Amino acid sequence: MAEIKLKLKKKPELPLEADIITPDNLVGKTIAEIKKLAIYHGKEVVKLGDFFDISGKSTDINDTKIIIEGDLSNVKRIGEKMSGGEIVVNGNVGMHVGNQMNGGKITVNGNADDWAGAMLQGGELEINGDAGHYVGAAYRGFWQGMKNGTIKVKGKVGNETLAWVNGSKPGNRFPKLICGSAGAFLGIHSHGGIIIVEGDSDRCAGADQVRGTIVIKGKISRLLPSFKKIGEVNEIELPNGEKITGKYIEYSGDHSVAKNHSKIDKKTGEISNSSNGRLYIAA
Amino acid sequence: MVERKIKTIYDVVCPFCGTLCDDLEVDIDIKEDSVIEVRNGCQIGTKKFFSSNPSGHRYLKPRIKTNGEHKEVSWDEAIDAAADILVKAKRPLLYGFSSTECEAQSKGVELAEILGAILDNTASVCHGPSLLAIQDVGAPLSTLGEYKNRADLVIFWGSNPVHAHPRHLGRYSEFVRGYFRKDGRNDRFIIVVDPRNTHTAQIADLFIQVKPNEDYELINAIRAVLRGVELDVKEVSGVSIEKIRELVDMLKLCNFGVIFFGMGLTQTLAHHRNIDAAICLTRELNDHTKFLLEPMRGHYNVTGANQVFTWNTGYAYSIDFSRGYPRYNPGEFSSVDLLIKDEVDSSLIVASDPASNFPAAAVKNLFKHPLISIDPHETPTSAFADVVLPAAFAGIECEGTAYRMDSVPLRLRKVKNAPGECISDKEILEKLIIKVKEKLGE
Repeated sequence: MAEIKLKLKKKPELPLEADIITPDNLVGKTIAEIKKLAIYHGKEVVKLGDFFDISGKSTDINDTKIIIEGDLSNVKRIGEKMSGGEIVVNGNVGMHVGNQMNGGKITVNGNADDWAGAMLQGGELEINGDAGHYVGAAYRGFWQGMKNGTIKVKGKVGNETLAWVNGSKPGNRFPKLICGSAGAFLGIHSHGGIIIVEGDSDRCAGADQVRGTIVIKGKISRLLPSFKKIGEVNEIELPNGEKITGKYIEYSGDHSVAKNHSKIDKKTGEISNSSNGRLYIAA
Repeated sequence: MVERKIKTIYDVVCPFCGTLCDDLEVDIDIKEDSVIEVRNGCQIGTKKFFSSNPSGHRYLKPRIKTNGEHKEVSWDEAIDAAADILVKAKRPLLYGFSSTECEAQSKGVELAEILGAILDNTASVCHGPSLLAIQDVGAPLSTLGEYKNRADLVIFWGSNPVHAHPRHLGRYSEFVRGYFRKDGRNDRFIIVVDPRNTHTAQIADLFIQVKPNEDYELINAIRAVLRGVELDVKEVSGVSIEKIRELVDMLKLCNFGVIFFGMGLTQTLAHHRNIDAAICLTRELNDHTKFLLEPMRGHYNVTGANQVFTWNTGYAYSIDFSRGYPRYNPGEFSSVDLLIKDEVDSSLIVASDPASNFPAAAVKNLFKHPLISIDPHETPTSAFADVVLPAAFAGIECEGTAYRMDSVPLRLRKVKNAPGECISDKEILEKLIIKVKEKLGE
């Protein structure tokens, strides 16, 4: 695999917007050409070579691996809209890492800031540390957030993770998040996401979800009143066919959403206020 | 006895809160150019008119800080120093704008675009979450006249108009006689939802005491009950299910309902999700009756700031021009977050006092870098500013346009002249724009 190595020379004082660092933009360029690419430091346009030591080369996008070293906690938008190849960040990374990517893989060996993997369209984002708020969430005002792909976070994720996630069984799209623990409003306004929390979750998981599956293997600090207990299960089948075994309490909800249209039961003639969303909490 | 020449000005718009009362009468002593009496105004609005009178608090000339001391200088020197700070900065912040007229706000947008700066208004610490929720799920809003003439059920959720918008109750929501509500207060049912037994709650027909930071769960439960769902729980956020059922019946049976919400919803935990849920509730209530909601905006022209910024840039607040075109992301480009992360290297504060309102960590970083303050009088922010540009009070000493909380534009009036060398915010920003352009070589 062809490698391109970037090493941060010094931590920038102001946020550095490096949306240029994707395999799509660097592939097929010489080191001299890559060094001249523009990035933004505050309102100044600077060259990539001013902040990074660069070495290596690549020819094919799917065969490209970009390795970035250093404390990138003030470097934003790495891997924005990337479509293939691989990025490995050895250190902390700033906001919007891998936002709107639709292919390839990003591995962060450190913590990520807010909006990691926002509106992911495909590909894989792995964070071997904690992530900030709005992981995989829709940007402000968007009604369709993450549509496909997988996000794995070893540590905790912040609030409103996977807001407006939009999966589809007929469309064969299964956006998925696996995280260590979660903040408040996990999967709010979910339209069919799969969320697995290995630990605990803060208040209001699954708020306003129309469809979607949330599995919490630990505890939830405050369950929403609009979730109704169905019963205990020993095995959970996720929409993508995967199975999780263990004792869980199954809840349906969110029952407050009007989009969960009330139906009249054909046998009994009664109105059933069903909901397609499911929340599983360890028994 | 000294003979006084008094001029009375009628129908003055009060530049204090978002209610923007337009029926004030102000007596002016022509000889001394000072306010001697204000009629019809509330206590807070009246005080603002009096505070424009010459006093030790008002700046009369521009000031520059040298060796830790403020020194009075000429306008040219001060504008030059201010432009110098802004041009040298890599990431300047322009903040405030909510207590000045729309014409000055549009000049602020122009300056921000020239500088490639970050532009923000006080909505980011106030009703910004409402705007976020509106962008997510829309908003069924109306003008205040509709509520006055039609509403028979009024909910104040997390807002205390008796103290914050004193004449709101008398002019639009509670005591006033409307076209279809001829008996005023007796024709309206008032509900207050608040963690505290506020003075508004004490004059309400029904007070629902919700636990702090648990508003979201309560709205959630109301929506579920409205949908006809039997809940598993007996109590939500300190309110029993029986009480929630009673409340839902009331909401469904009214002819025209309205929710006025304040900072109790926007600035408690869950922030914009509280408003998100409240908007969804309002929308769902329209299946049964007519229901609307309205944010209780604080500063008299914060709605105007949102309007002006939106028609100029497409976004209401937290706007970044650093890449030449406007980008928007509260949390990333909002002033408090930027200052806490120490991501700005100079600030221009227009008609606002962040030093009194922002978290201490943010204020510390604000003072660390060069600071310019455009303000009529001394505030904790201007006291630490490197350059102070004295402004005239918009709506008292200069004309302009302001938007009421329901986005109705009203013309502010000039009732007296500004003391000393004070000029309007708009003129100051125009001077700054010319100087900045000159320094950038445009």
